[in-house]
Amino acid sequence: MRSMNTGKENTWCMGCGNFGIIAAAKKAITALHDEGVSLADIAITCGIGCHGKIFDYLNLSGVYGLHGRALATAQGIKLANPKLHVISFGGDGDSLGEGLEHTLFAAKRNIDITLILHNNGTYGLTTGQASPLSYTGYKGLSTPLGNVENPFNPITLLMEAGASFVARAYSAKIDHLSGLIQQAVRHKGFSFIEVLQPCVSYNNSYDLYNERCVMMDAIPFDEINARQLAKATEQIYLGIFKQELKPEYCEAIKVQDNPLQRAERLAMIIH
Amino acid sequence: MPAETFNVLIGGKAGEGVKKAAQVLAHLAMASGKHVFQTDDYQSLIKGGHNFSVVSISDTKLYNSYSAIDLIISFDDRSIRQHAGQLKPGALHFVNGDDAASADSSMIKLPLGSLMKEVYGPGGNVSLSAIAIFCAVCGIEARDLEQNIKREFKHSIEQNITYAEAVNKLVKKLELGEAYPLSYSKMGARKLYSGNQLIALGAWAAGLDLYFSYPMTPASSILHYLALKRESHKVYAVHAESELAAANMAVGACFAGKRSAVGSSGGGFALMQEAFSLAGMVEAPLLFVLSSRPGPATGVSTYTAQEDLFFALHQGHGEFPRIVASPDSFERAFSLAAELMDLAWECQSPAILLTEKHLSESSADIFPEELSLPSAPEALVSEAKPYKRYAVTESGVSPLKFPGSEHADEDDVIKWNSHEHLESGVRTDGAEAMVMMKDKRLRKAETVMTATKKYQRVAVYGAGESLVFAYGSTALELREAMQHHPFKLVVPIYLEPFPDEELEAYRGCEAIIVEHSSQPNFAEFLRIKLDINAKANILRYDGRHWDSKELAERVREAENA
Repeated sequence: MRSMNTGKENTWCMGCGNFGIIAAAKKAITALHDEGVSLADIAITCGIGCHGKIFDYLNLSGVYGLHGRALATAQGIKLANPKLHVISFGGDGDSLGEGLEHTLFAAKRNIDITLILHNNGTYGLTTGQASPLSYTGYKGLSTPLGNVENPFNPITLLMEAGASFVARAYSAKIDHLSGLIQQAVRHKGFSFIEVLQPCVSYNNSYDLYNERCVMMDAIPFDEINARQLAKATEQIYLGIFKQELKPEYCEAIKVQDNPLQRAERLAMIIH
Repeated sequence: MPAETFNVLIGGKAGEGVKKAAQVLAHLAMASGKHVFQTDDYQSLIKGGHNFSVVSISDTKLYNSYSAIDLIISFDDRSIRQHAGQLKPGALHFVNGDDAASADSSMIKLPLGSLMKEVYGPGGNVSLSAIAIFCAVCGIEARDLEQNIKREFKHSIEQNITYAEAVNKLVKKLELGEAYPLSYSKMGARKLYSGNQLIALGAWAAGLDLYFSYPMTPASSILHYLALKRESHKVYAVHAESELAAANMAVGACFAGKRSAVGSSGGGFALMQEAFSLAGMVEAPLLFVLSSRPGPATGVSTYTAQEDLFFALHQGHGEFPRIVASPDSFERAFSLAAELMDLAWECQSPAILLTEKHLSESSADIFPEELSLPSAPEALVSEAKPYKRYAVTESGVSPLKFPGSEHADEDDVIKWNSHEHLESGVRTDGAEAMVMMKDKRLRKAETVMTATKKYQRVAVYGAGESLVFAYGSTALELREAMQHHPFKLVVPIYLEPFPDEELEAYRGCEAIIVEHSSQPNFAEFLRIKLDINAKANILRYDGRHWDSKELAERVREAENA
């Protein structure tokens, strides 16, 4: 198997949660490869921001697209070649701000793509403005008097939108995250992993997560229970909140290749 | 003298099937060996209001419909009020006696509404009466009327036939004679196509696999048409959550190796600006269809305009080569969609097919055998290891590889990047690398220019003292107008890159310039490109297409001014 490194100089801050995410991603890809998944059949997309740099550090094919549009691009890739394993990396500003519509619609379609959400609760690369997941009261350059908005809960949001695999991980627990990525990629349908990711420069939440994160020992028995656990704040639950099988988009519209060449196509139009 | 045209107008409320009835009339005329041109005037509403369709019928090819009417069928009083003034002397005006307060003694009142209630009970389809009247007036026999109804309408077949035959008999009883005898034969080899259908088919013939769009009139019917063809043509029309989604999905589909297109009108294009720029940066071979309507903003949804010329030419921020061309005929809509798809792939650049509601949504008879397709350009292949998506080349075009395809293997890393990038596709902000990549992309301008030369880039029609310039569907209006007054019409089909070579002979000329905008944008464009001096600007910006006789008169006036 080829190296997963591109050799590009890494410019994430020392201690950034992204290091845990890329380590878990490499581990998961290696494990999937060992199980027979060809690297030629993997494509990644990402948005713009600190999370997006993973594109330059991961030696995988893909599209480093526009801010907010990673999942739109990913869906185009999947529709064009449903055989590909498509993994999309998104920031919280990217996937739940600028590109919220694509996230909800990808989940609604249950298209077989994996979204890994780098949730650092801030806009890191643009120097710490409030994100859609910033806590109420968060002070940043765009909210110097404190954020007055409430954050989304990505887990319940994605469950409601129709994602058929919904999980939460913490970037410091690499093996757990790696395992979830493997399961998410293998899952047939839209899979979503929220990764709690401290931003050492603008939202250093290591202490909070180290203190409060708790691993669930099983998938919640129903969606009401899953919601309660997803919304809990005294303890922050990690693991799979929802996993179900339901019709997948590309299969539902029966995407297939069209081998007709243009002479045959023209003949079809004429007759 | 041009061949006489027989012009039929059907007017009524939205939801009464005006357009459908007009299509059936057009088919009947085509099956009788005639040429047809159909325009549909409708408003942005579901029920009520006023819709009308005009079908012009002739022995010779038509490029437009006419507003002077020979046969008019008004389903309601509003249609009488709106159209009574556009009848030729001796024209027949059939009105619905149940909604005809403004009718006068020159009109023929038929109980279309009450008869419909008798036959159908609640509901009913008044549009059948127009078909029945047309058949009576044109001498098409009752059994042919019946067969056509069976073929064209899926529901209430019995009632449709009963109603149509009752109306048909009422008209025959009047013994008006045959105003326009048609020898119906069912033998016609021609097909009725709208411009949008031909754009869709042209792109599909050139390999379109995926079409991504968010509905916006007048581009929506491309989405609808391709969606209907999913099973028969194995083409996938995706109604995305927004134009932004559509365009970004399409870039992803190109990355995975599928020929893809997106379409919208001005507003949707405004939303796709960033993705258009993305296509320029990642070098995505993507076809965009821009069908214009009057703006700005929401504007007037269901009418025609050419306000978006400079908008199309300057799509997307940043520097990269663009391709913009506009079809001047129905046949060209087909071939140009295919050409632009090929150019997009040959040059790995976004390409825009710019058109207008008048071409998108009008219909005409097409002889499918006459549709022409370019031969596919050869794809560049790369054997180089390691594969570099943005390998620097003389032409500026780097070979493509697609993930998961038979040509790519485990070692190939295929990176498309919206950031400035190195040859590998990995991001850079290095000064030298920036210049290298910008130069590579800009070298494609020359490659694009050369590539377009294998296609017809300029069309010249007619002959005459005066020189007229137009582009897009305005050329259709003018080609019909030259049946009434001769002039020479020059139409640049390709707008970017501009076909200087073919047009050099006109540099510095004086010309009449016709366009559908309030400002002489196209005239300004011609002044910049060819130093053409506008002898007169014929501008129309009320959303309506020209009546070609009136347009001929305007050209004549301009010559004499």
